[in-house]
Amino acid sequence: MAGTGGNGAGRGHSAAPDARIGVFICHCGGNISDVVDVKRVADEIGQLPGVVLTLTHMFVCSDPGQALIEQKIKEMSLNRVVVAACSPTLHQATFRRAVARAGLNPYLFEHVNIREQVSWVIVDKEQATRKAIRLIRAAVERTRHLIPLDKRRIPIYPAALVIGGGVAGLVAARDLATRGMKVTLVEHRPFLGGRMAQLHTVFPTGERARELLATLVHDVVRHPLITVLTNAQVVHSEGVVGDFQVRVRIEPRGADERLKDQGNAIAACPEETLNDFNFGLNRRKAIYMAYPGCYPPIPAIDWHSCTKCGKCVAAVGGKGIKLDEQPREVQLHCGVIVMATGHDPYEPLYGEFGYGIFPRVITLQQLIRLLDPEGPTGGQLLPGGPPPKRVAFIHCVGARQIEGQSNERAKDYCARTCCTAALHAALEIKEHHPETQITNFYQDIRTYGRGHEIYYERAAEQGVLFIRYKPERPPRVVPDPQERWPLVVQADDLLTGGLSLEAPADLVVLATGVGHHDIAELIGIYCCAVGADSFLLEIHPKLRPVEMSTSGVFLAGACQGPMNISEACAMASAAASKAAAHIAAAQIEMDPFIAKVDEAICTGCQTCLTVCPYAAITRDQARKVAQVNEALCTGCGTCAAACPSNAIQQFGFSDAQVLSELEMLLEGAAVV
Amino acid sequence: MADEQVLHAEAASAVVPGWEPRIIAFLCYWCSYTGADNAGTARLKYPANVDIIRVMCSGRIDPELIMTAFARGADGVLVCGCHIGDCHYLAGNHKTMARMPLVRSVLADLGIEPERFVHEWVSAAEGEKFAQLVRHTTEQIRQVGPLNWPKRMHDRGVGHGMDLQPWGDGR
Amino acid sequence: MNAQGGTGATNGKLKVAKYWASSCGGCDISLLEVGPHLLELIEAADVVFWPCAADFKYDDVAKYPDGYIDVCLFNGGVRSSEQEEIARLLRKKSKTLVAYGACAIDGGIPALANLTTPAEIYDVVYHQNPSLDNPNGVEPVPVFQTAHGELRLPDLYPQVLRLKDVVEVDYQIPGCPPQAHQVWKVLQAVVAGQVPARNDAVTVGCDDKAVCDECPRERRQVRVGGFRRSHQAIPEPGWCLLEQGFVCMGPATRSGCGALCVKANLGCRGCYTAPDGVEDRGTAMIGAIGSIIDATTEERAHEIVGQIADPIGTFYRFSLASSSLKGRR
Repeated sequence: MAGTGGNGAGRGHSAAPDARIGVFICHCGGNISDVVDVKRVADEIGQLPGVVLTLTHMFVCSDPGQALIEQKIKEMSLNRVVVAACSPTLHQATFRRAVARAGLNPYLFEHVNIREQVSWVIVDKEQATRKAIRLIRAAVERTRHLIPLDKRRIPIYPAALVIGGGVAGLVAARDLATRGMKVTLVEHRPFLGGRMAQLHTVFPTGERARELLATLVHDVVRHPLITVLTNAQVVHSEGVVGDFQVRVRIEPRGADERLKDQGNAIAACPEETLNDFNFGLNRRKAIYMAYPGCYPPIPAIDWHSCTKCGKCVAAVGGKGIKLDEQPREVQLHCGVIVMATGHDPYEPLYGEFGYGIFPRVITLQQLIRLLDPEGPTGGQLLPGGPPPKRVAFIHCVGARQIEGQSNERAKDYCARTCCTAALHAALEIKEHHPETQITNFYQDIRTYGRGHEIYYERAAEQGVLFIRYKPERPPRVVPDPQERWPLVVQADDLLTGGLSLEAPADLVVLATGVGHHDIAELIGIYCCAVGADSFLLEIHPKLRPVEMSTSGVFLAGACQGPMNISEACAMASAAASKAAAHIAAAQIEMDPFIAKVDEAICTGCQTCLTVCPYAAITRDQARKVAQVNEALCTGCGTCAAACPSNAIQQFGFSDAQVLSELEMLLEGAAVV
Repeated sequence: MADEQVLHAEAASAVVPGWEPRIIAFLCYWCSYTGADNAGTARLKYPANVDIIRVMCSGRIDPELIMTAFARGADGVLVCGCHIGDCHYLAGNHKTMARMPLVRSVLADLGIEPERFVHEWVSAAEGEKFAQLVRHTTEQIRQVGPLNWPKRMHDRGVGHGMDLQPWGDGR
Repeated sequence: MNAQGGTGATNGKLKVAKYWASSCGGCDISLLEVGPHLLELIEAADVVFWPCAADFKYDDVAKYPDGYIDVCLFNGGVRSSEQEEIARLLRKKSKTLVAYGACAIDGGIPALANLTTPAEIYDVVYHQNPSLDNPNGVEPVPVFQTAHGELRLPDLYPQVLRLKDVVEVDYQIPGCPPQAHQVWKVLQAVVAGQVPARNDAVTVGCDDKAVCDECPRERRQVRVGGFRRSHQAIPEPGWCLLEQGFVCMGPATRSGCGALCVKANLGCRGCYTAPDGVEDRGTAMIGAIGSIIDATTEERAHEIVGQIADPIGTFYRFSLASSSLKGRR
């Protein structure tokens, strides 16, 4: 006959009766002790049952402070430690390590925040002291319910996957290989280079983008440890950090290295389509090379445009073109993944500042293609005619938009690089056409980087006019009513109190914002955290900017947010470094705060399976209970809260632990 | 209702003079707890009445924790998490978001003033928002008065009845 | 059966009592539901107090020696002074006190009265009722003087309490009412002397898990897009009722009834007390339901959960007195 205790067993672990708790209270050099009476706190806490030691110290996080913790643990046989100091986000790991060095399990430790959340925010010292006492008392109580935990250690397969063949992906791959890691680089377009290949010269050095890229590509493709797959996409991934089984689908290129007579093959093709490498400024054939010097140096066939008429095959005698090539799949095994999927520029809406209506309204990206002597017009801004006499730039198109002011696709954040890029392009125009009058309509000029401000200064020196506009009243691009010029840009000049101005223009350039490149499937496959701005989200913007909460997946470049090439390269190197560190350690350590199912209580209701954002919970069909995959579990605790039988507990945040803290905080709050 | 007023007055007077609101806040580590830290780093000032319990994700906040907080004597409860779309754990805050209307409905039926339960999203950069939230919530609950749930229930016999003698004794 | 109590103690039979406090009578009927087994029961036990079925007086019980009653089955909640006094009396006079049925264990449906006050109840019953004929607005009064002396009514408490709020309880048998097959299993065990060790309200007459364990329906890992009441649609067979949008308390209700209601296409109403480790079933279900609805915006979340009719009455139908907050302030 069934009969079980009615006292709520299974809520976590019951209090340890033999706790010997040591409490260390930090002065933080006065940051805490100037407001909180730490001596009084120590006295009061010292009276709690089980607390065998309370100490105050000037800087517990210092080497002597940590040494003191270690010494006291050994000396007084402490089996629980509480440190009351600054925020755990700063030094929790430091103190855990100190506890571990003394031979005590680092998870028998509680960290109380009495600086950022007490001494720095509360004025009344009495109230601050009482609050500190309350919080520490609750933490002391919580320690009674702690159990020893071990970090999860997952072995890492020693290979890396880099997704994205732009500058960030190339740098990451190169850096990983330099450290002796095997790398596969997967690029979904037929050619490497990404957005950097679409640039002409780069700031602040003025070097040619594709030359820099060529050096990088050369290092990557020649490296024995790197395999480059183009026309390739990740379609499926299984496994966890350290052991990813990834299926990559490679679309048929249609041509291979046997094709020698590339020019004839391309010339013979009768089909044309808009060339998106040149942002639609010209057309290209269905069989094409993206840009001069691209890699692989083999044409690719764009199957959307190709009609398989066979004229290219005929033109080269059949060698090297395979119109019936099939897609194939390869299986990759890797331990870490670097996402380097990049960004897309904002495409203005039809009619936005006249875009799409007036052919003389172009984007900054298009302007850069026009300036490029290897571009669609050989460097001519207005092909077939004289250079423009008047050029207008409009900054912040599709960026920094106020809610409700503009279309839904426009972004509310600054795109970072476009001010410098626009001024760089303006100076380039001036260099070739000194008599051209340029006017920049801007909200702010954000030439923030090293060597960037000089573009602003030089532009001003060379007579570029700057007209500031209010975001609520952007400029308007209209045809010139007097028909002397193709267009007129009308604006209200903020700096003269809203004076209405008009600038005639032969060419209007929209400096557009950037958005994330759509990788919805990858995000789904790897459960990537995504910010409200739709870029991939790092774990912590300051302390862990290249890691994602999905363990083993790292961020490189503009997939994480708007940034320029220097920043993308720095991030890529950082990501490679982190990824390589994982591989070198041969195992990855993860926090032990995972969920665990008590199978005796679990009723198999499967609520937790539906709840887990990482699909980390499965059902054992035979025993009809839920099971948590320890490697996939990220420790959010949502399943623990959802479980209607309280069968799932989260280590470190069990019901018993959280309730003990709650109840102790409220002790004495109400009078019965 | 007469009983209501009497009980309310009893509860208020039974609490120690100089009553200060006691508010429990559940904050998620990645966004709202860091947002609270952000307030501290900026040296913003706010009342001492809000005690913070940290969890890794707001999805860990079981409605039972909220009810227990009131049952044990909290005058107010504050739940914070990452903004929707920003959850460090992808969608934990979606679950929090969906649980809250049911919690509110039950609290309303139990006669707990809606001002006592506050649910807000606070990001890691929103120190000012957090400070304002603490100030506003504390003041709001100060206006509403002490809840003192343990006393109410004790007075109604929960846990001990009315301490009568067994039938027949003393008759 | 010996109506004198006391002196019949030496015939070797168990002495059994059953009392109804704030209850509906269904638990008393449920004991009869064991059917022909009752004859076996009578072989082994004497009833020494059972107001529903036999004419024993309170005085008889008061005169029993302490611990005289071997097993007392107490059903109904405690919400009057009489019920508390009798509960304490029976605790004194019983070796083993069993909270029988949802009302004694968790307050049961009567505990929903904790959402209101005695004054409001009186108002509805004696004054504001459409079917009432009470022109003089007469209300019960606690004390009334008659020519022959003073009449007293028990005090109506402001709160429905559980048996364990008033006295120590040894075992509890859940159900509204407990199902006959479970009751019989318990009685057999009692008669054979094979009960588990007594502890703080050990739950017997049920299984170890939640109703989901007994439920024949399957979950498909689908998020819930809306809620319906049982009269609004016919559920698809074989598929979890909760996922279909019919509120079912199964995940937070103790198993043992055989998933009766679910097998009749009705969502479990939650009468079989909480699973081990759960104290507040309402928050357990709110946590579970909130976690599986299909919403990524606050508006949609509100819209979907807004379709649950009467959340407090649904999630706390049988257990308000066991919830964290117990009742309305």
